[in-house]
Amino acid sequence: MNLFEYIRPTSVAEAIAAAGEPGSAYLGAGTNLLDLMKGGVTSPNRLIDLTHLPDLGKIEQLPDGSMRIGALVKNAALAHDTAFSKAYPAVAEALLSGASAQLRNAATVGGNLMQRTRCAYFADPASACNKREPGSGCDAIGGENRHHAILGWSESCIATHPSDFCVALTALDATIEIEGAGGRREVPITDFYLLPGDTPHEETVLEAGEIIVAIKLPANAAGFAGHQRYLKVRERTSYAFALVSAAAALEIENGTITEARLALGGVAMKPWRSAAAEAALAGLSPTREAFEKAAEAAFADARPSGENAYKIELGKRVVARALAMAAAGTPERMPALPASPFASDTGAIAHV
Amino acid sequence: MGVEGIGAKVLRKEDRRFITGRGRYVDDMSVPGMKYAAFVRSPYAHAKINGLDTSAAEGMPGVIGILNGQQLQGDGIGNLICGWAVSSKDGTPMKMGAWPALASQTVRHVGQAVAIVVAETQAQARDAAEAVMVDYEELPVVTKAVEALKDGAPQLHPEAPGNLIFDWELGDRAATDEAFSKAAHVTRLHIHNNRLVPNPMEPRAALGHYDPAEDHYTCWTTSQNPHVARLVMSAFYNVAPEHKLRIIAPDVGGGFGSKIYIYPEEIVCLWASKRTGVPVKWTSDRSEAFLTDAHGRDHETDVEMALDADNKILALRVETVANLGAYMSLFSSATPTYLYATLLSGQYDIPAIHANVKAVYTNTVPVDAYRGAGRPEATYVVERTMETAARELGISPAEFRRKNFIRSFPHQTPVIMAYDAGDFDATLNAGMEAADVAGFDARREEARSRGKLRGLGMSCYIEACGIAPSKAVGSLGAGVGLWESAEVRVNPVGTIEILTGSHSHGQGHETTFSQLVAERFGLPVDNVQVIHGDTDKVQFGMGTYGSRSGAVGMSAIHKALDKVEAKAKKIAAHLLEADEGDIVIENGEVKVAGTDKKLGWHEVCLGAYTGHNLPDGMEPGLKEGAFYDPTNFTFPAGCYICEVEVDPETGTTQIIQFVAADDFGRVINPMIVDGQVHGGLAQGIGQALLEGTHYDDAGQLLTASYMDYAMPRAWDLPMFKVSTHETLCPGNPLGMKGCGEAGAIGSPPAVINAITDAIGNNELTMPATPEKVWKALSAVE
Repeated sequence: MNLFEYIRPTSVAEAIAAAGEPGSAYLGAGTNLLDLMKGGVTSPNRLIDLTHLPDLGKIEQLPDGSMRIGALVKNAALAHDTAFSKAYPAVAEALLSGASAQLRNAATVGGNLMQRTRCAYFADPASACNKREPGSGCDAIGGENRHHAILGWSESCIATHPSDFCVALTALDATIEIEGAGGRREVPITDFYLLPGDTPHEETVLEAGEIIVAIKLPANAAGFAGHQRYLKVRERTSYAFALVSAAAALEIENGTITEARLALGGVAMKPWRSAAAEAALAGLSPTREAFEKAAEAAFADARPSGENAYKIELGKRVVARALAMAAAGTPERMPALPASPFASDTGAIAHV
Repeated sequence: MGVEGIGAKVLRKEDRRFITGRGRYVDDMSVPGMKYAAFVRSPYAHAKINGLDTSAAEGMPGVIGILNGQQLQGDGIGNLICGWAVSSKDGTPMKMGAWPALASQTVRHVGQAVAIVVAETQAQARDAAEAVMVDYEELPVVTKAVEALKDGAPQLHPEAPGNLIFDWELGDRAATDEAFSKAAHVTRLHIHNNRLVPNPMEPRAALGHYDPAEDHYTCWTTSQNPHVARLVMSAFYNVAPEHKLRIIAPDVGGGFGSKIYIYPEEIVCLWASKRTGVPVKWTSDRSEAFLTDAHGRDHETDVEMALDADNKILALRVETVANLGAYMSLFSSATPTYLYATLLSGQYDIPAIHANVKAVYTNTVPVDAYRGAGRPEATYVVERTMETAARELGISPAEFRRKNFIRSFPHQTPVIMAYDAGDFDATLNAGMEAADVAGFDARREEARSRGKLRGLGMSCYIEACGIAPSKAVGSLGAGVGLWESAEVRVNPVGTIEILTGSHSHGQGHETTFSQLVAERFGLPVDNVQVIHGDTDKVQFGMGTYGSRSGAVGMSAIHKALDKVEAKAKKIAAHLLEADEGDIVIENGEVKVAGTDKKLGWHEVCLGAYTGHNLPDGMEPGLKEGAFYDPTNFTFPAGCYICEVEVDPETGTTQIIQFVAADDFGRVINPMIVDGQVHGGLAQGIGQALLEGTHYDDAGQLLTASYMDYAMPRAWDLPMFKVSTHETLCPGNPLGMKGCGEAGAIGSPPAVINAITDAIGNNELTMPATPEKVWKALSAVE
């Protein structure tokens, strides 16, 4: 039996204080944490339920034009917020490509940032996993690792980060607002996640007891609104994690790309921003050749961590196509099947 | 036909309760004092049990009792049986290992039940089940049938050396060899028919209740055939005597075959109820369903087809290894033999066929009939081979099929079946027209201009339904007869109750069976109540599977209605002082033909029950029963055409169009038939594209949840274009053939034929995931 204490604080300060007890864990909607607890992957002795904290459920436009999303906003609510999805359509598309409708209705954006890898060895307490049990080894290396990392992995861990949402956030330079015992601070999402190195159990820069209170998207990200897409290739069209995904955003003036943004999902233990690909695109015309060049650049450092060399080739194709889709323009309406490769050509979908 | 008679699209009566959440399933049932069960299950695929320590669990909150296999055996509860005896070609009977409902010595698959815990709540039962300590000694494991046959493979049952259950053959080997020696061309193919998990929406459940006052047992269970469950549980498992055992299968949320079998859980719950003195309910969760519901398919087959210089088929040779899992489930022996090899002639005139089937034990969940049961496997073998041969010969797959169609009926195949009727050209023509096959080349070019690969695939299936003539199946080893029974009970006010041994678990029997009454007497379907699923109410029955409820179950109702009609006419003739032969019944009225003399239907019925004025010597009442035993199988057939578009950059396949042109004989309710076809196609396409069941080397089921086992979803399926073309079945009074399984039988080869056409590589196994398609594409690039 998994015995734990359940606490429902009424303020952030109270929550942070409650987390002083070692072995505490914050609970959002529980769409990931409860599964891990049931599977014996993690067994916190104190659950601090954040879902009743006040003031963390708002989507606000700030005076400087940026948008601030409270950590308790539900995935579905954010994706369907008209002002938000107009300004950041690729983020909405990424959100709607993740999980199932039921889960999106329950899951919070703060929790999404904190979800754990879907590496099967991490989820199986009988397997060795340096992330779950530091120093125990990594059974994914040499195991079933078709889905594993091709960028930024180490000999300690080859897992990937599962979020779609964070990939689009990364492309658009989101920042994360964090509150802890020492007050509030903001961290760019590109610095939020840690690569595994020798310490794969350390996943983010969060200090003990710190809480994500909000996510901010900068005002200038809206400049990409007309040309941004999220493309996710997976083994089935819904309720599956990405083999490779890409968030692509372009600023195009007079037929020339002035600025490009590209982030990749499913390839590393963090959403992978590719500065090299972005640099390769600046000043070019939005052509297939340019996108293929960017795709090569994005995966220049990629190497297989096992039976997953195919992901490098697949990733290049995904990047080229995501960029082509972004160049073609953000669709007027959210595609019926968000982020799907099926919908890429015409925007219309055969069966819907 | 009338507005609600045969051929009318009557809305399903039962849907009112289903879509308003008022269906009542086993888990909805409650009995005073009822407690909850959880099973202790083996985490190992193969292990010796050296001990069982329940002391910690017994002390846990709410625990009422923990029972194990030794106690079960001590109480004389029998091992699970296989109800169909199949012999090897050398004449030896099949070699069956013992399957106790609770294992006490050896476990042979992950999930096998070892003990039952009964507790006050479900959560307490589960917590205590986790605390039961079983001392397992791991044994070597084999999960693939081909591996299990090899020398030195781990051995499962001492009764079956080499893990071989039987080595069975059908057809004429010498004639087949002879034909091959004369062949101008031979097409060869290795075929893997992937193992599937049935996944009905409602997981299995059982509620066992022993009543000491009456010394009577009741078991609510998710069964497709409650009377068979009663027979087997009493005659073979000795849980309760048949006359003191009531089996109730209330609303059941889908079965697809997996709820035919009598599983350990219902036996143990009923037994545990007597042992503990409380009613015991168990409801499977989805994980348990993956680990314990009988799986389907799992064949490895080598097929060879011999052709003459004129592209006529000379012979077919088939070698199949069928994985039956760790134990022989109730009809597991029949599925890869008499339901499989007997259909290897397909729609074609094949002079010689020889099939050899080896059935093998492995450390996996038992395999048994699943929607189609043997016939999808046969169709996949035949139709993949037909398409491959046509490609090798460089001729049109449609014309190749047409060249070899059977056109005169009855037709005796070399593999037992005698096809009674059919028109294969008609369904092929209808399919090709609906699919616009003529315009395909242009569509392929258009897709190519977008960088996409289009393919077209066809499947002309035939299957055997209406299972089955009792004498015939008896001679082939079946332990039961496969007739059906019906009782038609006319009430004094003229409303009607139909008691049927068929069982509806999604098929819409309450509607279609009522339509027979509407057709016959012109009464509204709302005046008819269909009663099924309760052995205390329904006289007897063999249940629903093998698309038999129409051809067999409705034929029994038809016969009972004949008797009711005859008696009603006699009464009416007496009351109206007319000749019996002049009485007609229509629109709820009983009339003398050609006159204005008539009675209301209800007046005749009331007359039957008052008995005030009946013909001399006639018994009062209006209630008739019938047993119907079919004279032959029925043979639904059709043509399925699938058009796909493959994205070469990602390997994803999109089904652009799927056409089904079926011949089901007489259609009672076209809307329900369409629904059956849609559901079957979804399952068949699921098998072809998505559903893969994988064990690791230790025998752990890797695909044991919906995260890993891909069920088809709406997006994966196109809008189907379905049509039916009736050639009536001469073998039963309504001319019905059955429609429940065709979709799942005919569709997988159509999909794979289409994808292999698109990518130009015939080496592709199901499920054709994007990864496999990508690899197959890379291999030809």
